[in-house]
Amino acid sequence: MLKRFTEALSKVGGQAAEVATVGEAAAYIAGHVNGTVLLPSQPSLERIALAAELEAAGVKVVRESWREHAAAANAGVTGVNFALADTGTLVLESTAEALRLATTLPEVHFALLDPGKLLADSLAAIPYLRGFHERAPRNYLAYITGPSRTADIERVLTIGAHGPRQLHVLLMPGLSTDFYEL
Amino acid sequence: MSRARNRNYRQRVDQALASPRLQQALHSFGDAYVVARENAFAGLDFEAMRQEIGAMKDRVREQRQELVAEFTRNAEAAGAKVFVARTAEEANRYITDLAVAQGVKKVAKSKSMASEETHLNRALETAGIETLETDLGEWIIQLAGQRPSHMVMPAIHMFRDEVAALFSKVTGKAESDDIQHLVRVAREQLRQGYFEAGMGISGANMAIAETGGIALVTNEGNARLVTTLPKVHVALVGLEKLVPTLEDATKVMRILPRNATGQLLTSYVTWIRGAVPCADGDKELHIVLLDNGRSALAESPQCRDALRCIKCGACANVCPVYQTVGGHVFGHIYISAIGVILTAFFHGLENAADLVQACIGCRACVAVCPSDIDLEGIILHLREVLGEEEGIGVGKALVFKHIMRNRKLFHSMIRAASLLQKPVTRGERSIRHLPLFFSSLTEWRTLPAIAEKPLRDSWKTLPQKVENPRYRVAFFAGCLNDFVYPEMGYDLVKVLNHLGVEVLFPKEQNCCGVPALYSGDRETAVALAEQNITAMLADQPDFVVTTCPTCTMSLQRDFLELLKDNPVWADKARQLAAITIDVSRFIVDVLDGRAVFAEESVREKVTYHDSCHLKRGAGVWKQPRELLAGSGHAVVEMAHSDRCCGFGGSYSFSSHPDIAKHILNDKVLDIEATGATCVAMDCPGCIMQIRGGLEKQEKSVRAKHTIELLAESLE
Ligand code: SF4
Ligand code: SF4
Repeated sequence: MLKRFTEALSKVGGQAAEVATVGEAAAYIAGHVNGTVLLPSQPSLERIALAAELEAAGVKVVRESWREHAAAANAGVTGVNFALADTGTLVLESTAEALRLATTLPEVHFALLDPGKLLADSLAAIPYLRGFHERAPRNYLAYITGPSRTADIERVLTIGAHGPRQLHVLLMPGLSTDFYEL
Repeated sequence: MSRARNRNYRQRVDQALASPRLQQALHSFGDAYVVARENAFAGLDFEAMRQEIGAMKDRVREQRQELVAEFTRNAEAAGAKVFVARTAEEANRYITDLAVAQGVKKVAKSKSMASEETHLNRALETAGIETLETDLGEWIIQLAGQRPSHMVMPAIHMFRDEVAALFSKVTGKAESDDIQHLVRVAREQLRQGYFEAGMGISGANMAIAETGGIALVTNEGNARLVTTLPKVHVALVGLEKLVPTLEDATKVMRILPRNATGQLLTSYVTWIRGAVPCADGDKELHIVLLDNGRSALAESPQCRDALRCIKCGACANVCPVYQTVGGHVFGHIYISAIGVILTAFFHGLENAADLVQACIGCRACVAVCPSDIDLEGIILHLREVLGEEEGIGVGKALVFKHIMRNRKLFHSMIRAASLLQKPVTRGERSIRHLPLFFSSLTEWRTLPAIAEKPLRDSWKTLPQKVENPRYRVAFFAGCLNDFVYPEMGYDLVKVLNHLGVEVLFPKEQNCCGVPALYSGDRETAVALAEQNITAMLADQPDFVVTTCPTCTMSLQRDFLELLKDNPVWADKARQLAAITIDVSRFIVDVLDGRAVFAEESVREKVTYHDSCHLKRGAGVWKQPRELLAGSGHAVVEMAHSDRCCGFGGSYSFSSHPDIAKHILNDKVLDIEATGATCVAMDCPGCIMQIRGGLEKQEKSVRAKHTIELLAESLE
């Protein structure tokens, strides 16, 4: 299933990388970023103290006043609730506005995914989709499949339209087992 | 029909036909689309998926009141406001009033066909509110002051140099026409707009009753910004977008991108329920459910299936007429097949009148529709309605009513015409030139002469030597086979006799009625159906065999439909439909007659043209290929073998000869590219068209009916 996921992800222009530790994750991000990074608060990323690691790796991390910083930030870093193998899709419960800003405005999106949180396809995701709706009265759920794209000029596929131009999925075992947690 | 409307329309057709760059773009897009779509559905059962969508959408139509109530209840419980707008004006007024009340100066929009439908931008701008389209294609269109020419790719008719010129005006410096660069310019230019806008307006692909949420299926990421940054979010959603559950929504999500662009999934699917957080507070979410003709559509038994549409745009992608003239001609706001229908209900029959005639009836759209809509059937019905409302033209009405319905008169007039044409044919089988004002008819294809002796007159002299026949079949010849190509009938007898089948020719058979029906004269079509049923069933044949798939479709489908409410005739129509079969299928599927034609040496390099009504009407395409290959022909496939040849009966004579000519030229190019010396097909109409084109262009390829080639192989 993991192989199907990474293959589908690369078909839609996303990149996957395996990281064993939070240090490796921070180093990967530091190596691919070119400016400030938005890092909204998320349980799995708090647990591994990613912010501190990123700062230690020399990355400038923004953790508040999102609207002010979002437009100028180079990247957003998020966890992933779970992913769909057949299409290479990340599912992010993005009701908190900071999460949406971090995944819409910057050029680059880094997403940390526990490879254990994979479902076969969108049909298998329906119970969780319903679960999200049951857990909270209002929600903004995002299925993200690769970077943003357009083919609106002469039908030529161009990666990177109004949303992120790059999507990096960092596969980190042991990050989280909870499908309802980011 | 209003003259001014017609003149204006003709001008637009001419303009489009004079834009080879547009045609080229739409053709290559259509080619790439077919491949991408096929890959996207690999391993999936498209038929089963679309039937599921169709059935689900029918439930939605039936239960729409309950579902609207359920949706509203759930959405409002989540802090949204729901407004059901009966008309476009009501929707526009609600949204502009809201914007004015909130002091909104600027609105950021993501793509919404519903807002195109209601002309929302115009309404907002009249109220002094600036609108900013943020979808790349929509922005281009907005800058150019045009309307979308495709539902999924609004600016598909524009080219990079035109886009660069538009963008240069915005930025005030010369922008290069590199596409990557242009996309970047748009990204940068539109950025500030999301922050400045006091209101974001989106559409929705699904409105889910179970949750009261909406879902957006998008690629560029602008819809996520439009629904996140501004304080107020308005979603303008057509009522047909309702689905009962998350399962149903997921099914739509699985089929929509695959069928729209050949993507497994778009970059983003965004599920929004209720007033979500926005800056320091909560967003204000308004959902406007738009009726604007949808309830009327739901009440029309003949047209209501159109409400199943999920707006994937596929019916345009594969349509030969769309590929030839584009969406600004073959469309109003909504384009192509579905556009014809929705225009009639959302924007008035008047605006659909020309579009209804512009469809050539090839059913390519029906084959790819993910919602299982018989688009062509509905367009045909609209043509009937228009025929009743506006009339079908005095000349046509006269011919259908007073001549065609009277078989003896009709047939004696054809015989008379055969004599009259003598001076122009000079004894040849085709007409290359006609005098004076008729001459345009033979400008781009030769036309066959009416035979000196129709098939019906020489039938008695045809020897039939079948002892203990396996079957007795009645031959329904159709007008072309009977009066223009009688030799095809001789060949049919020869081949079927050889296979142990006796062939009868019921003399009382008349035109199958398609010309009348397709012109909107239902009454004549009914009269002809009754005549033909009586004639064809009289001798109690085992089968009724045809050489023309349009006749087959008429006998099998149209007669049933025309007579379904008539207790006397409905049953007989069913009987006839059950035994009607086209000749290639009869030979392969019933007689298992392939082996009879077996041949070791290669006879000829043949390519096969799939007639629209044979492949997509009767589902026959393998059988003739098997017969050709089995009888020693080297069968080579042409590109687009199942693309229409542009005949379409009166379409290529009177209604749209200019478009028909372009479609024919595409076909001739595809045939030539195979290097075959013969193109085979199973339809006398296609033969008339394709042979005419090949002859006019002096190509050395012959066009033959499969039955003729089989007869040759028995010689
Ligand atoms: S039937 Fe053919 S010509 Fe008519 S709308 Fe469909 S694809 Fe186009
Ligand atoms: S009618 Fe069918 S093919 Fe055309 S846009 Fe609607 S769903 Fe797609």
